[in-house]
Amino acid sequence: MQKKLLALLLSFALAATLLAGCSSSSGSATATPTAAPEATPTESTQLDHLTLQLKWIDHSQFMGYLVAKEKGYYEDEGIDIEILAGGSDIIPEQNVYNGVADIGVTWVSSLMTYQAQGYDLTEVAQMFQNSGLLLVSKKSSGINSPADLAGKKIGSWFGGNEYEVYALLEKYGLMDSVTMVQQDYTMDQVAEGSIDAASAMTYNELKLFYNEGFSEDEVNVIDMNEEGVAMLEDCLFCTNEWAEANHDLLVRFLRASIKGWKEALADTDAAGTLCYNYCGSISEAHQQYMAAEVAKLVAPEGFDTNKIGYIDMDAVQQTADYLVKYNKDLAATPVVDETTFNSTYWKEATGN
Amino acid sequence: MTAGKAGKVLWPLAVGVAFLAVWQLGGIHALLHFKPFQLPVPLTILETVIDNLPKMLSDTWITASGALTGMIIGSLLGFLVAVIATMFPKWGYPGLTLVSLFNAIPIVALSPIMNRWFDDGFGQKVGVVTVVCMATMAINSYRGLNDLRPFTLDLMDSYAAPGSAKFFKLRLPNSLPSIFTALKINIANGLIAAMISEYFASSTAGLGFSIKDNLRKAMMAKGWSCIVMAALVGMLLYSVLTLVERRAVKWHASQNK
Repeated sequence: MQKKLLALLLSFALAATLLAGCSSSSGSATATPTAAPEATPTESTQLDHLTLQLKWIDHSQFMGYLVAKEKGYYEDEGIDIEILAGGSDIIPEQNVYNGVADIGVTWVSSLMTYQAQGYDLTEVAQMFQNSGLLLVSKKSSGINSPADLAGKKIGSWFGGNEYEVYALLEKYGLMDSVTMVQQDYTMDQVAEGSIDAASAMTYNELKLFYNEGFSEDEVNVIDMNEEGVAMLEDCLFCTNEWAEANHDLLVRFLRASIKGWKEALADTDAAGTLCYNYCGSISEAHQQYMAAEVAKLVAPEGFDTNKIGYIDMDAVQQTADYLVKYNKDLAATPVVDETTFNSTYWKEATGN
Repeated sequence: MTAGKAGKVLWPLAVGVAFLAVWQLGGIHALLHFKPFQLPVPLTILETVIDNLPKMLSDTWITASGALTGMIIGSLLGFLVAVIATMFPKWGYPGLTLVSLFNAIPIVALSPIMNRWFDDGFGQKVGVVTVVCMATMAINSYRGLNDLRPFTLDLMDSYAAPGSAKFFKLRLPNSLPSIFTALKINIANGLIAAMISEYFASSTAGLGFSIKDNLRKAMMAKGWSCIVMAALVGMLLYSVLTLVERRAVKWHASQNK
């Protein structure tokens, strides 16, 4: 009994020191940057608390928000931001709907699936303009083009991440000839050869695959954008109810976030280092690589950086069309209009 | 007597039906402020089961066959460990401790390990269930093999009965109730382990995968239909085992009379 009590006390003490460590580190981070001249709120003014739910762990994929947080851009806008990391069984749509978070980051195809069920969710900004999804394989497995996927084992993370792969397979008429396999969050399966082609994000798993010891000419990469089956990915969304009740806060959040993204795009190495210091995932070099690749999705070549977060309704419509075609269980045809993809707040925040 | 028996069946049945009716009519939704898409009503779930019956049945079969195979292998291995520990206590008994240690490995850790060992989903699932089922059977059957009625072993010794007779006529029948207890625990544990392993396994079929995938995609009715199928197959297997046990232990009891 006494031992148990002791253990309990020790764990409390440990938790307390951890918490103290967190608060002091974030305190110092938010205290240093007071550079922004338009920063009006002082310590006496009340900050509005806002919780952002990420789709995955808090690494460089979300560098814009992390930069904005660490550089105090949210605080400058009077926002006390809390960023929640995601994970394999953390579903941003459900967390935002249930009120665990105010705003979430998710893939558009996933968001549409929820909207079709009747969840009152609306997209407010589109952070990634292009798809970052690839199918990668070893050339030694005999895959040199999409048509070679016939009869192969193809990996996906599922849970809404499979629709682009399905669209690709449908395009080449391979739907019935392949075996879909559930992929874990490493690239070991394709490296070992237990699957032939694996899903990979340009900014993360592709690099992990190269890290397993494959050179670029040993690997075949199929890009969903080049194949014309791309769907939109990372976007910001919240409930319509919350957006209406917190109109001003939402605009301020978007303004600070986009400022963070702009800064991250301008110097991806610095952003990668900042994200590595924030999350400590894998290595600083990996976070810098990720930052550089994510930058290409947020602002592709020729994209005006003043339009970061722009919702391209044609791309949204294409995502919806593919979803209807490849998600046979979709509750209803996705609605693509101002009630589900609302640019009002983004326009107000950016002056576009 | 018959009225009492009928009451024994009718009351739980009435409570069950009443619960389903309240659920169907939105009582739970009103109480917990749920929207229909957060928790589907029973008739919607039933409809979904019927609409997707072939897929439901094949998913159920994939999960149940993996669970049963793993349960049989695991139970046999566990029993073997118990027998060795009984016959050769000196070096066999530590085997029990080892098996108990295996039992302490969480399924969420075991699944990725099995994914590295086996290529296909079936092997991965059977591997997880085998490990999970071994300890329960080893510990329970060891107890049954050794918790003998007082002086029974002395009696066998005084007859100069050989070891085989002591085992087959005394220890084995004596262990039957414990073996059935272990099997009943293993049916439930095996199904749960099989479904959890499907969360991590590479296969894209089975109740566990479907529950995970559908719940992540907000297909709540489909997720719930898989839950219903899992409950049904669990109850079915448990009932079959209870029937077998009733016969086997009746025989055991008559032997002891």
